[in-house]
Amino acid sequence: MRRITLTLNGASITREVQDSRLLVEFLREDLRLTGTKESCGVGVCGACTVLLDGYPISACLTLAVHVHGCAVTTIEGVAEGDRLHRLQEAFLAHGGLQCGICTPGQILAAKALLDANPHPTRAEIQHWMMGNLCRCTGYYKIIESIAAACGAE
Amino acid sequence: MAATELSGKAVGLSVQRADGIAKVTGRARYAGDIELPGTLFGRCLRSPHASARIVSIDARRARALPGVHAVLTGADVPDTRYGRLCKDIPLLAKGVARFVGEKVAAVAADSVEIAEAALELIDVAYAELPAVFVPEDAMRPKAPVIHPEAVEIAAGAATRSHGELRMYPPIPNVISRFTMRHGDVAAALARAHRIFEHQFAVPSVHQGYIEPHTCLVSIGVDGLVDVWVANKGPHIARGHMAEAIGVPEDRVRFNPVAIGGDFGGKGSLMDTLLCHCLARATGRPVRFVMNSFEELTAGNPRHSAAITLRTGVDADAKLLAIEARVIFNAGAYAGFIPAPTLHGGYAEFAGAYRVPNCALEVLRVYTNTVPRGHMRAPGAPQVAFAVEIHIDMIAHEMRLDPLEMRQRNAITDGDLTPHGETRRHLRCRETIEAGARAFGWHRPKPPAVGRGIALYEHPSGSFGRSTVTLTLGSNGRFTLMVGSPDTGTGFHTIAAQLVAEHFGVAAAVVDVVQGDTLTSGFEAGSSGQRVTTTVGQAVAAAAERMKQDLTALAAERLNCAPGDVRLGEDGSLAAAGATIGLAPLMSWAAARGKAPLRCQGENDPGRPNDRTSFVAHFAEVAVDTETGQVRLRRVVTAHDVGTIVNPLTHQGQIEGGLMQAVGQALSERIVLQDGAVITAHLGDYKLPTSMDIPELETVLLPGGSGAAPFATTAIGEMSNVALPAAITNAVFDAVGVRLLELPVRAEQVLEGLSDRAGAA
Amino acid sequence: MIAFSYLEPSNLDEALGLLAKHGDAAKLIAGGTGLVNFMKQRLVRPQFVIGLRALRSLADVRDDGGLAIGALATLQSLATSGLVQRAAPLLAEACGHVATVRIRCMATIGGAMAHADPNLDTPPALIAMDGRIVARSQRGERTIASDGFFTGYYTSVLAPDEIVTGIVIPRQPAGSGAAYCKFLPATQDDYATVSVAARVALNGDGAIAEARIALGSAAMVPVRARAVEAALAGRAVDAAAIREAASLVLEAIDPIADFRGSAQYKRKMAVVHVRRALAEAAARARPPA
Repeated sequence: MRRITLTLNGASITREVQDSRLLVEFLREDLRLTGTKESCGVGVCGACTVLLDGYPISACLTLAVHVHGCAVTTIEGVAEGDRLHRLQEAFLAHGGLQCGICTPGQILAAKALLDANPHPTRAEIQHWMMGNLCRCTGYYKIIESIAAACGAE
Repeated sequence: MAATELSGKAVGLSVQRADGIAKVTGRARYAGDIELPGTLFGRCLRSPHASARIVSIDARRARALPGVHAVLTGADVPDTRYGRLCKDIPLLAKGVARFVGEKVAAVAADSVEIAEAALELIDVAYAELPAVFVPEDAMRPKAPVIHPEAVEIAAGAATRSHGELRMYPPIPNVISRFTMRHGDVAAALARAHRIFEHQFAVPSVHQGYIEPHTCLVSIGVDGLVDVWVANKGPHIARGHMAEAIGVPEDRVRFNPVAIGGDFGGKGSLMDTLLCHCLARATGRPVRFVMNSFEELTAGNPRHSAAITLRTGVDADAKLLAIEARVIFNAGAYAGFIPAPTLHGGYAEFAGAYRVPNCALEVLRVYTNTVPRGHMRAPGAPQVAFAVEIHIDMIAHEMRLDPLEMRQRNAITDGDLTPHGETRRHLRCRETIEAGARAFGWHRPKPPAVGRGIALYEHPSGSFGRSTVTLTLGSNGRFTLMVGSPDTGTGFHTIAAQLVAEHFGVAAAVVDVVQGDTLTSGFEAGSSGQRVTTTVGQAVAAAAERMKQDLTALAAERLNCAPGDVRLGEDGSLAAAGATIGLAPLMSWAAARGKAPLRCQGENDPGRPNDRTSFVAHFAEVAVDTETGQVRLRRVVTAHDVGTIVNPLTHQGQIEGGLMQAVGQALSERIVLQDGAVITAHLGDYKLPTSMDIPELETVLLPGGSGAAPFATTAIGEMSNVALPAAITNAVFDAVGVRLLELPVRAEQVLEGLSDRAGAA
Repeated sequence: MIAFSYLEPSNLDEALGLLAKHGDAAKLIAGGTGLVNFMKQRLVRPQFVIGLRALRSLADVRDDGGLAIGALATLQSLATSGLVQRAAPLLAEACGHVATVRIRCMATIGGAMAHADPNLDTPPALIAMDGRIVARSQRGERTIASDGFFTGYYTSVLAPDEIVTGIVIPRQPAGSGAAYCKFLPATQDDYATVSVAARVALNGDGAIAEARIALGSAAMVPVRARAVEAALAGRAVDAAAIREAASLVLEAIDPIADFRGSAQYKRKMAVVHVRRALAEAAARARPPA
């Protein structure tokens, strides 16, 4: 077991974790933050995307001990209270989600993009979002949603 | 017919998803998100052999591992066999393992890590047995018989069209043989100008839902079994589970959870019965989550198929007769589908064409491979691939443009279907024309660029029971309780819009809730593009009853005869100059103990449906002639549609289905080696990404004739079926390479190019 | 996931000490994209996992004529670094082609080398740039030519007590052009069927002074195509010369059949993509001033 301290969705927390605990298990099981989803387990699908110091990462391939001293953002930290983030609003308005299982990862990946590049082109959106698989939407409406959120044409 | 009067407030609007906010904030609860105190984690040991006798299992070391609460082997679980129709799936392999990945032992432990460590301590001795991997081998007279014992079949084994069905006929390993004859095929072929015969192969693909199969079972002190499972039809699953564990249906409660994608793959109980055994053995709740390796190697992917088509045409390339033989590989167990065979393999066979004489033979066959299940329009993608390439090949031989070939043979009013049935308002030709126009079929194109077309016909599903409970509360808001989840399609949102439309109110005043199986009425669930139709019918029935109750209430309030009350705008009720809104009326009723109002509604699953819908896909590809790489540049998809309840979710169905088809066309395949799935993770099983989407234009032909309330037609299984054939036909158009197997792979295209160069 | 003890040294000496002490029982972890996957699939079962995350100075990129890049620099940071794009554009280009942005944000350049997966994008780029790999142990530091670093399927010349601390990329020949071609015939997030890194330097009269070519997914190791290089030296940049030379890549490669193609197909694709990469690199090159 190791003690880790991190800034999680803006608040500092300290917890004991098993050495081999994966970040996705730590979030979902130890902290009961189940908005982060796990699917492929090999870093391909992006369902477990969270932000580590602002960068998108796969929580299924990250050791929990590795986020000690870092800032982690999960889907639970994207809205401000009841005020949805513009990406969340855009996904709702433009049909960027269906079953919703990939949606937390999609929104976090998109947030990382917009935080680094507030006005991406549609091609940049498409390329950046390649790591987040979606089986329901065929991606068109996810791209539209992100483009709408940042006012891209 | 379709000119239904709409209020403009509900049906036809892009209403935002009812479950949207929960999903974009991470608050939606899927089966894996439910927490019960004391939950244990279940994992399975799986067979490494395609066919083997289990000589012995020694689980003593696993049982002794700290943190392990139960280890079960075949000897520890009931002899029950589960299946949605054919009951052939044991809870754990008993004596024999029939595919690589079959569950042989199960562990419940304090953590997944401990459970997995325990699996490594279970010693199983196997004696390998002969195995068969493809139907061709499995059907040979002396082939090893995978299920030598009789398989129990649930009542009601039937097909969706006339013909002869035989379950377990006397051919080794055949689960079902369906034959259908319409007209006189032999005579028609005898007078044919030319006869063409081709063979096609379609591999298994995975449904690709991002949420893996997950279940949680908890047994209460009173014996009530609570289940949270990623299953699209909880009422049916509840019935199967109650029967399997030998309790009345009301002693099993399936609780509502969000479903992370289905696409046909989540209709079975999968691990739920085993989870129940572990819960019983430990006295604790137990959760099972299949990891993605298990999903890909031991889930229930789409049936692979081998298809032979033989067609006679007259001198004008008009179809005279088609003879088809379709062989589906079902893998080691038949129980994952609720039907004798895949209805898309026959019921939608060549439905876009006038085929005056038709003979079908559809076989479903056991092999020692992963059991196969349903996937979005079961059977249809396989058969449509064959039919649409066959039609192109005939056009080519008859020196006819593929578009003209289809126009000439498209089914129209007055024609019988290939099954000899009558349908009305057929708009196949109009759909083709609209798509071709938008696509620019005849426009000049650069070298190595090709264009292809493919058609598909599929009616809205009107089978299976739907029951809803509609409640009007004292605040004037409606609540519709349904009995199955929104698997992502937008079904709950659409149901709210349908309710609202009946009362002329906005969908925002309707809440749709999914009840558990004790509180909700029976609902067969999302399948076969049925719910908009069947739930729509149930909603219409409930709304009709509620309007009567409301009218009576308003008459009392307004002191008039019920016959004088009219339903006005925004749900208001009016009579003789007086008008009262829904909310004040219901508030008045509440004060007198007459609120809420509650009405049930049911559909009529026996109602005949003589309507259907068409889709025409057009694909443009560019082929790199040095590498064989096929780039899908552009797709036009033209749909014959009725009233669209929600344009946003409707288009979402089209786009999502299309990209599933793109995956099947260009990248996805389950690869088997010695019977084992070796495309075992998403690094090797390649789902399309956001970088793989073509430029897309959707053409909608409104005014289609839906038989459902408000003249809606289904869209869920329209866009994912025929596109791979359009893409494959486009490859031929581009470089003259004819592929008869999916997916289109660069290597095969290049081989085709060198064969052509060699022949030239 | 398997169980292990996690150790987190706070400086390089401490890390070297832990590695020397635990040897084969320990594995180093940086981004984790390689090791965690292997541990989850039980392909490796280390007793100790030594995390390098605290060695932050190992993520620096320094301009010292060439480039000295710390092992912990993420591939995303290299793909987007202006300095790397100017001084080692081939590395930036190859990093930009790695998997998806999420993997690039996790995976490190040192990890990519130590992992020694023949399907990765960065090793061929490093070989084509004549890059070197810096490894440290308690016995000292050595600098290893990237061409020769990889010895087999997921194996390299690294000793069990050595840590990759960085890579060194010499100043690239003036005016040289480089290109990375990753052949992805199925989906865009796939591993390559074959990938080619090429660098072409011209001499004063515009002929090829030197070409360096390396391939990924073409053998058990990333390979350098020396015969192609030799055939091009001194030749004018023209399609025929490049075509003729590209076919010599077959001497260097021995591809493994997998889902991305048969060995025979990969051989053909290697020839095509060596040619394309060379043509692109030559088009980007200009004679030295």
